[in-house]
Amino acid sequence: MKLMDSMRITLRPFCLADSVGVCFLSLAFLTPFLGGSLAAAEDTAQSVMLKGKSAQLVRNYCIDCHSGDDPEGDFLIATADEAKTPKDVEPAHWLKLINVLKTRSMPPSDSERPADEEYLSTVEELQMTLHEELQELPIPTTPIRRMNRAQYANAVQDLFRLNVEVFALPEKMARDYGYYKPASGKMADSLKVGSRPLGKSQLIGKRLAGVAPFPQDLRAEHGFDNRGELLTLSPLLLESFLRLSKSIVESPDFGPKNVGIWAECFATPAGWKSLSRDDQNILLRERIQELLRVAFRRSVETKILDRYVDYAADQIAKEQEFSEVMKSVASAVLASPKFFYLNDASAANSDEASNNFTLASRLSFFLWGSIPDGTLLDLAANGELRKTEVLREQVQRMIEDPRSKRFCDSFPAQWLQLERIVSSVPDRQLFPDFYFAKFRASMHMMLEPLLVFETILVENRSILELVHSDFSYRSDLLTNWYQGGRGSTPPTAIPFSRVKVDDIRQGGVITTLAAMTMTSSPTETKPITRGAWLATVLLNDPPEPPPADVPPLPNDDPELDKKTIREQLSVHRENAACAGCHNQLDPLGFAFENYDPVGRWRDSYENDLAIDVGGELFGRWFRNIEEFKQIVLAEDRLFAEAFTRHLLSYALGRALEPVDELSIAEIVERSKDDGYPLRLVLQNIASSPAFLGN
Amino acid sequence: MRDRRHFLKLTGGASLSLPWFASQATASSSSERKPPRRLAFFYVPIGVVRKAFFPGEANALLPAGNNFDPKKITGRESVKLGVQDFPNTPTLEPLQELKDKVSLITSLDRTFQIGTDVHAQCASCFLSSAAPFSVSTSAWPLARTLDQIVADHIGQDTPFRTIEISCNSHKDNRESIYFDNISWYGTGHVAPSIRNPRKLYQRLFSTSEIDSFRNITDLALADAKDMQRELGQGDRRKFEEYFESIRTIEKQMNRLESLKSELANVTLEEPTDSHLPRGEYIRLMGDMMIVALQSGLTNVASLMIGPERWDTPFLFEGLFEKPMSHHQMSHNQRKFSEQLIEVDKFHMRQYAYMIERMSAIEEADGSSLLDNTLFTYGSGLGDGSTHQYNDLPIIVAGKGGGGFRNGIHLNCEESTPLANLWLTQAQVTGAEIEQFADSNGTIESLLV
Repeated sequence: MKLMDSMRITLRPFCLADSVGVCFLSLAFLTPFLGGSLAAAEDTAQSVMLKGKSAQLVRNYCIDCHSGDDPEGDFLIATADEAKTPKDVEPAHWLKLINVLKTRSMPPSDSERPADEEYLSTVEELQMTLHEELQELPIPTTPIRRMNRAQYANAVQDLFRLNVEVFALPEKMARDYGYYKPASGKMADSLKVGSRPLGKSQLIGKRLAGVAPFPQDLRAEHGFDNRGELLTLSPLLLESFLRLSKSIVESPDFGPKNVGIWAECFATPAGWKSLSRDDQNILLRERIQELLRVAFRRSVETKILDRYVDYAADQIAKEQEFSEVMKSVASAVLASPKFFYLNDASAANSDEASNNFTLASRLSFFLWGSIPDGTLLDLAANGELRKTEVLREQVQRMIEDPRSKRFCDSFPAQWLQLERIVSSVPDRQLFPDFYFAKFRASMHMMLEPLLVFETILVENRSILELVHSDFSYRSDLLTNWYQGGRGSTPPTAIPFSRVKVDDIRQGGVITTLAAMTMTSSPTETKPITRGAWLATVLLNDPPEPPPADVPPLPNDDPELDKKTIREQLSVHRENAACAGCHNQLDPLGFAFENYDPVGRWRDSYENDLAIDVGGELFGRWFRNIEEFKQIVLAEDRLFAEAFTRHLLSYALGRALEPVDELSIAEIVERSKDDGYPLRLVLQNIASSPAFLGN
Repeated sequence: MRDRRHFLKLTGGASLSLPWFASQATASSSSERKPPRRLAFFYVPIGVVRKAFFPGEANALLPAGNNFDPKKITGRESVKLGVQDFPNTPTLEPLQELKDKVSLITSLDRTFQIGTDVHAQCASCFLSSAAPFSVSTSAWPLARTLDQIVADHIGQDTPFRTIEISCNSHKDNRESIYFDNISWYGTGHVAPSIRNPRKLYQRLFSTSEIDSFRNITDLALADAKDMQRELGQGDRRKFEEYFESIRTIEKQMNRLESLKSELANVTLEEPTDSHLPRGEYIRLMGDMMIVALQSGLTNVASLMIGPERWDTPFLFEGLFEKPMSHHQMSHNQRKFSEQLIEVDKFHMRQYAYMIERMSAIEEADGSSLLDNTLFTYGSGLGDGSTHQYNDLPIIVAGKGGGGFRNGIHLNCEESTPLANLWLTQAQVTGAEIEQFADSNGTIESLLV
C-alpha cells in the first residue's frame, strides 16, 4: 500500500535549463547535444519521495508525458521503481514544478487538467515538503563587492553631508523639483519633474566641480545594478576611486558652504595652535574616529584609528594647515576599501556586533542606496537594531526620510527595465509626433511609471496598483498622447498632474506608454518581446534565451501582408519544438496588441485586420487586456510573490536561491491581510530571515 | 611672445636638446631604434564658419538662425574630387607656411543619433564615431574612442597610456561631461580631461601626486589586509581583484618614477593658478602635451580647445574687447561672422604654433617629432549654425612615422565616414585593426 501512495520524482537539471524554460523569438528545436547531456545528467539525477495528493496529481496528469526515454520538455518525472537511490531534494527543480502548477501553466491547456481544488492542495503539499527541506539549508551571503556608481555618489554625499551632488547621475531618471515628501504620506496633485537622461539642461545640477565619475554599472540580466558578483574592480576603476578620493576633497566646492560636517570635522578648532601636542592629538583622534565610524559603518578598531591618527599627526608635525590635514584624512578614508567595498560578513566568522553593523548597512543601502546614519549605527552598536519593534520604527523612519528617493531612483526603473525607453526610436515617418525640437515624447513617458511607483510608496498603497491604479501622473503631452494627440513640452521641469484613471486599460505601470513603446520595434509591436518583458517584470519568470540557431520566420508567404502578427507567429505553435515555450510566452505579448508601437490604443491593425488579444493566464481565459489585468489582480498572491522576489533580490544585492522561498512565503503571508501595501512589504522584507541573515 | 618664452623656460633651453630628451633614446639599447609613432588631436568646438574655411564656398550664403538648411550653403560641389593642392582660404591662412606638413581632408561625415542635444554628440562621439543606435545602452553613440584603441597598441609601455587635455577656461560648472570630453574608455566611461595647467603639470612632471597616492595607498593597503583576514574563502578570492589592481597601479607609478628621476635633472617651472590670457593658456597646454609626447611620457594625446555649447562668455584676449560667447555668436552668423572667423583663425594659429613646435623637435634618428606623429585638427560640427554632422573641417599634420601623406587637399567622395580616416590613422600608427566604428574602408589616397 505504501508504495502505491508514493512515488519518486526525478527531475533532471540539464534538461530543465535547456528547454523547460521558455524560448522566444522564433522556432526552436531540440538540439542534438541534448541526448548527450541527458546521459550525463543520469548520474547527477536527484529524486525525492512524493506522497499523498501530490503523488496522485502527478500520476494522473503529468506522468504520461514526463516519463520514458523522451519526456516532454526533457522534464522527466520518474516513478519510484525507475528512480535511483534517493538523494537530497534539488530545490530549484522542485520550485519549477511548483511554479508550473501554481500558475496553471501545466498541464497544457489542451490536456486534461486538475480542478482548482486539486491544484491548490497539491501546491500546498509540495510547498510544505520543499520548505521542510529548505529549513536545513544555510542562508547565502552576498559576496563582497565595491559600491556601484549611484551608491558611491550617495555615500560620499551622506558622509560629508554635502548639499550638492558629487557628480551627475544620468541613471537617475526622474529629477525631483521638490515634490518628494515621503513623510507627508501624500503626493501633491501637481508637481514638477524633469527627465534626466536625455534632457538638455537636466544633466546640470549643483555638483562638485572637477569631480569625474566612474562608469555607470549596468544592471544584471535579470536583476539590478547592485548585484554583488557583477560589481568587480579593475586597475582602471581603482585608479578612478583613488583619483575621486582626491578630487572630491580638492574640489573648489568642497568647503564650509557645501560640506555639512565642515564645522565638526574640517574647521580648525578654536585655539588650535595654542594646544599642547597631546591635546592636539586627542582632538584629532576624536574627529577622525567619528569620520571613520560613519565611513566604515562600524565601531572603529584601535589599530585602524591609530594608523589614521598617525597619518594626520605626521602632517600636523610638518606644520600643515589643520583643514588641509583633515581633508587628506578624508581623502584616505574615501580611498580605503573599507569605505567603497560592501562586505556582508557571513555569520559563521563574525560576531553578533559585527552582524548588527552589517544589518545597519544592509538597511541603508536597501532604502537609501547609501551608508547608514548615526542613529542606525548607534542602534547597531547597542544591539537594539535587531529588536522587532526598533527595526520596524527604523524602516518607517527611513522610508519617511527624503533619502528614500534614492530607492525610487534605482529600484522601479530597473525593475521595469525603463532604460530601454532611452534607446526606443519609433519610425519617424510612421510616428512623427514622437519627435519634437530636439526631444522625444519618451522623455515624458518614462516619468509616468516612476511617479506612480513613488506615489504608491509615499501613500503606502497596495503593490497591486502597479497592475492597475485608479490614478496616474501625466503631463499635458502624455494626456494628449493617450487620447491619440501630441505635444511638445521640453523635458525640463515638466508639470505633471495627478489624473483619475477609471479605465483599467490605462492604470498601473505595465500598460503605460513607456512600457509599450520600449517593447516595440520602430515600426511594429513585438508581441514576443512584450511577452518576455512581462514574464520577467510581472511574473518574475524570465524566459531562457532563445536557442542560438533559430531559423527566421518564413517570409515568402505571398499572403503575409494579409496576416496579423499572431497569424504569422502561429508557426510557433504548430511546431512542437517551439510550442513548449511560445505557448506560454506569446499569449502574454498578444494580450497587449491593442497598444500600438508608441503605446496608443488601437482597435484594429493598420490593414483593418481585427486584433486578436485573447489568451490564457493562470489557467483562465481572457478576451482583452481588461480581463487580463483582472486575472492578475484576482491572483494577487502570484503577483505579490513575483514582485517581492524582485524587491528581495534588490534588497540583498544578489540573485535569489531556493532557500529564499522561505522568506518570500513569510513576507507575502504577512503582507496579504492588509492588501500588500508597499511600506508593509518593505517592512516585512527588512524583518525576513534572508535579510536579517538568520 | 610671452608664451613662447614661457615654453622655453618650461623646457629649460632653446635647443631642446636637454639631457632628459635623450632619455627616450638611451632607454633603448639600440641607437637605430625608430622613434615611436604618436597620435594627437586638436579638437575645435562649435564648428567653423564654412565660407572662410572651405575652398569653393567663399561666395556661399551665411546660414541664418539656428536651423538653417545646410543644403542652401553651396559651393562645395564645385570642388573636384580627389587629391589637389592645399588651398588658401582665410581661415587656413595660418597654415600656408606649413602647408607641406599638413593635409586638408574634406567631405567626411559623422551621423547624429537623435535623442540628445546636437552639441552633446559632436565632441563626445567625435573619436568614437559609432553608428547611431549601435550602442543600445546609451543615448550617445559612444564606444571606446580611437585614441584609446590606438593606445591599446602603442601606449602600453609609457607611464601614461594616454593624456587628455581640455582648454576649457569656463569657471562655472554648467555642462555635462559629454560636452567637455572627446576621449572615452568605453560607453559611459569617460577618460577625464585635465583643464588646469597646474594639475596637468603636476600629473606629468611632478611626483607629488604620486607620493600622495602612495600615502593613501599605504593606508588603504593596510585596511585591505585587515579586511582580507576577516573574509571567507569565496570573498577572499573575489577581493584579490583589489590587490591585483593596486599592484598594476604601483607598476605604473614605478615606470613614471624611473622616468621622473631623469626629469628631475631639469628645473621645470610649475604653472601658477593665476589667469592666463586665452592664447597663452592654449599654447601652454599644447606645450605640455608636446613635451609629454616627446619625452616618452605618452604616445597618445588629445587636446580640446574648448567645450561644446558652454554659453558663458569669456575673454579672447587680443581678439575682442569684452567677453564673448563662441556658442552664442555661432547661432547668429549673419551678425557675428567677422568675429567668428577671427575665432576660427585664432584657433588655427594655435594649431599652427603646435605644428611648428613639433616639427622643430629632433628625435634620435634625425626625424622630427611631427614626422612620427599624426596630429589632427577637427570639429564635430561642419558648421556651428546649421549643426550639421556632415562635411566636417578636418586637417591632419604629420606623417605618423612616414606612412601618411602631407601637403595635399583630399576631397573625398560624398558621405565618406569620418571613421575611414580614423581607421587609416589607426593602421598608420601601428594599431592592427581592420574596422573602426562605422568605417567602410581606409582612405588610400592618404597613404604614402
